Amino acid sequence: MTVFTKSLTRAVGAVLIGAALSVSVAAQDFPDVTAISLEDLMNLKVTSVSKREQKLGVAAAAIFAITQEDIRRSGARNIPEALRLAPGLEVARIDENKWAIASRGFNGRFTNKLLVLIDGRSVYTPLFSGVYWNVQDVLLEDVERIEVIRGPGATLWGANAVNGVINIITKGSAATQGGLVSAQVGNALLGSGGVRYGGKLGANVTYRAYSKYFKWDSSTDHGGQDAFDGWDTGRVGFRLDAGSPSADTLTLQGDVYRGEYGETLTGVTLSAPYATTFRNDGRFSGGNLLGRWSHSFDRSNTSLQVYFDRANNAATSLLDDRLNIFDVDFQHDVRVGATHNWIWGVGYRSANDHATAGTYVRLSPDERTWRLFSTFTQNEFTLFNERLRLTLGSKLEHNDFTGFEAEPNGRALWNISPTQSVWGAVSRAVRTPARTEQDMRLDALVLPPSVETGGLPVRVSVHGDRNFNSEDLLAYESGYRVNLGRALSVDVAAFYNSYTDLLSAEPAAPSVDFSRESVHLVAPLVAANKMSGATYGSELFAEWRPAPVFKLSGAYTFLRMDIHRDADSLDASSPDPEGASPRHQFSVRSAVDLPKNLEQDVTWRYVGALDGLMIPGYYSLDAHLGWSPTARLNLSIGGQNLTNNQHLEFRPDFIATTPTVMKRTFQVSARWTF
Amino acid sequence: MKHVVRRLVVLALVLGFTASARAQDPRSAESSEYLIKAGYIFNFARLVEWPATGAPKGQPIVIGVLGNDSFATVLGRVVDGKKIDDRPFLVKRLKNKEFKDCGCQILFVAAAESARTDEIIQLQHTAPVLTIAEAPDFARRGGMIALVLEDSKVRFIVNVDAATQAGLSVSSRLLTLATVVHTAR
Repeated sequence: MTVFTKSLTRAVGAVLIGAALSVSVAAQDFPDVTAISLEDLMNLKVTSVSKREQKLGVAAAAIFAITQEDIRRSGARNIPEALRLAPGLEVARIDENKWAIASRGFNGRFTNKLLVLIDGRSVYTPLFSGVYWNVQDVLLEDVERIEVIRGPGATLWGANAVNGVINIITKGSAATQGGLVSAQVGNALLGSGGVRYGGKLGANVTYRAYSKYFKWDSSTDHGGQDAFDGWDTGRVGFRLDAGSPSADTLTLQGDVYRGEYGETLTGVTLSAPYATTFRNDGRFSGGNLLGRWSHSFDRSNTSLQVYFDRANNAATSLLDDRLNIFDVDFQHDVRVGATHNWIWGVGYRSANDHATAGTYVRLSPDERTWRLFSTFTQNEFTLFNERLRLTLGSKLEHNDFTGFEAEPNGRALWNISPTQSVWGAVSRAVRTPARTEQDMRLDALVLPPSVETGGLPVRVSVHGDRNFNSEDLLAYESGYRVNLGRALSVDVAAFYNSYTDLLSAEPAAPSVDFSRESVHLVAPLVAANKMSGATYGSELFAEWRPAPVFKLSGAYTFLRMDIHRDADSLDASSPDPEGASPRHQFSVRSAVDLPKNLEQDVTWRYVGALDGLMIPGYYSLDAHLGWSPTARLNLSIGGQNLTNNQHLEFRPDFIATTPTVMKRTFQVSARWTF
Repeated sequence: MKHVVRRLVVLALVLGFTASARAQDPRSAESSEYLIKAGYIFNFARLVEWPATGAPKGQPIVIGVLGNDSFATVLGRVVDGKKIDDRPFLVKRLKNKEFKDCGCQILFVAAAESARTDEIIQLQHTAPVLTIAEAPDFARRGGMIALVLEDSKVRFIVNVDAATQAGLSVSSRLLTLATVVHTAR
């Protein structure tokens, strides 16, 4: 055998053996590992969430991991498209550069109950409580996995991990050695290119550096008009890992980026026709630097993480915002005997925001700084020979907006047998106010003059309020996982969420405004906490692998929401959030390995109607075909919405940008590693 | 050639198992890690030589497992029926201080018992036992082999001084693949 084929056989062998080893120990017979050489053993991957995450005790939770293979095989072109692979998430595209992504309801462009982190850095902006999805990106080839947790994770991750947590985790630089060049062209994604190189700086020091650029074409609204929503972004970054787990490890990583986007915006005017729709544009730029130091002691591990993140978002006509975040987080993980783990941690975050008012939005004061102190403790016990795993813990935070917040949880996982387990959890989580909910003035609407208004137009202005408090959740969850034979596995989760103090918009006394170009009435709607209610639902995920070369998976998500005004609320304007989330979602995915190094994937998904947004139910059929003529080269072709079933997926809830139609799109991709 | 055929057979066997691979099950992570570590221990047994006093001919090779009974179960099944130089294996689950006179040729110390590192190292002075532990600093502190997770792969760190002092000889093939350290002073 030549050296090349030998190493190839070894690599393939490692993958195959690795896959085989994932089989439960309960299987009657398993591969004879004594026949595997030391060299091969060294190449085998432990299929596992890392040590740290394992200790977070998330197994007693509804968790799903999107792997690098899933991302590659799906042909996902960005993070939101990759998130469509996770059962239970609602991922809706508003226009080419805006998305509404949520877990367990309350979807919107500014979904405020879903926390998102990239390599431990929160990308949930405290400006408006939500995620600028167009700003968040990584080199998709460098993603190790995306962990999606449905349900609260506040005890570990803190406030705003209310209905879910998304952890985007990139590979260590040791796993991305050598070069990579990738390119994509298509009819919606006009072009995308990425370059990465990883190398060694010493025996225990590895690094990688990457850069990426992409450009999307604009799409059209429901009437076929150009919506000017094209956009582009350039990004460069690096990651450096030093040390080995036997002693200390140090990670340093950072990115800088810059992008421009367009949209069609509807704003208000004080004279007829009282509304104006026009082409608007925006720019964003920023950067971040993160350092993490882990140290292993005999019976414990410590980890210290520090990061700085700067985000500039300038949306013409709306707001020109500059946000700086500094965050320090320390965690200590202690084994107490063979059956008890204790984790505790402390954290500090400060945010400084400076906003320059646009035509329709103003923050008052322009500049504000706020801080967050947090501490948590969590205990994990295993009982009955590791069959029962109990987790008890709580977070205690102090923030400048609402003071102290406690977020406890209790979880239990019972391994009924090696092939099935059942879990349950009760937890509290809060969603703390965003700066906009405290400081904003937004011109939402102008009503034409009428007799009742004394012949004056009425400007409806949405006001933040310093008295706006945290939203509160008490969640009850349970789940069941089973392996039915070797080839079939099923994961079911169900929840009942009880919410209080949800955001409402309470009308305040109107006044006459003489300060602008024409005299008018101002009718304020003020942020308050006068909605409450419950949601319940379930998520089912099943995976069937009848042969090593064929995998079929399916997901079903059911959601009901019963959210109502409190008795003392006068809010007549807030829509029922149930109307913005589908009651039913289905998806089916097939993944086939064909001869000649071809892999072929098809996804069909159905999303139920969004009655409140006048969006009928729709389905979409996506397909992807990849070919690796050599181990270093991968060529692929992908298509989305192949039946060209033109539809809207969402209408924006807050800032009135024009939603655009999903059409059939294609792209071809090439990836070369060296 | 025989080796190649054997390996192909294993690979073919393994193909049949990929059907049941499941990344979502947190338990499968542990089991794959256990199997890989069991494979290492078998290989170590082949590539280390004990002094005649420490490993009487014809007697089984005794592996003591301290601190993780589930791993002992997996290891027991992996080495079941296997022989090295006509010697079968015997896996013992050890509790607390039993490791001090278990008659083991190999002692595996799971992470849960890492606090006993110093006692284990003491033991090496009195008996020719190949000590293997999950504590990352085990070899650096004077133990013989540390099995550590590095980027989701299992790697091993060998302290040759410690093995030599106990009268064990470690084959060069093993050392070329290991991270070699010396006892910190």
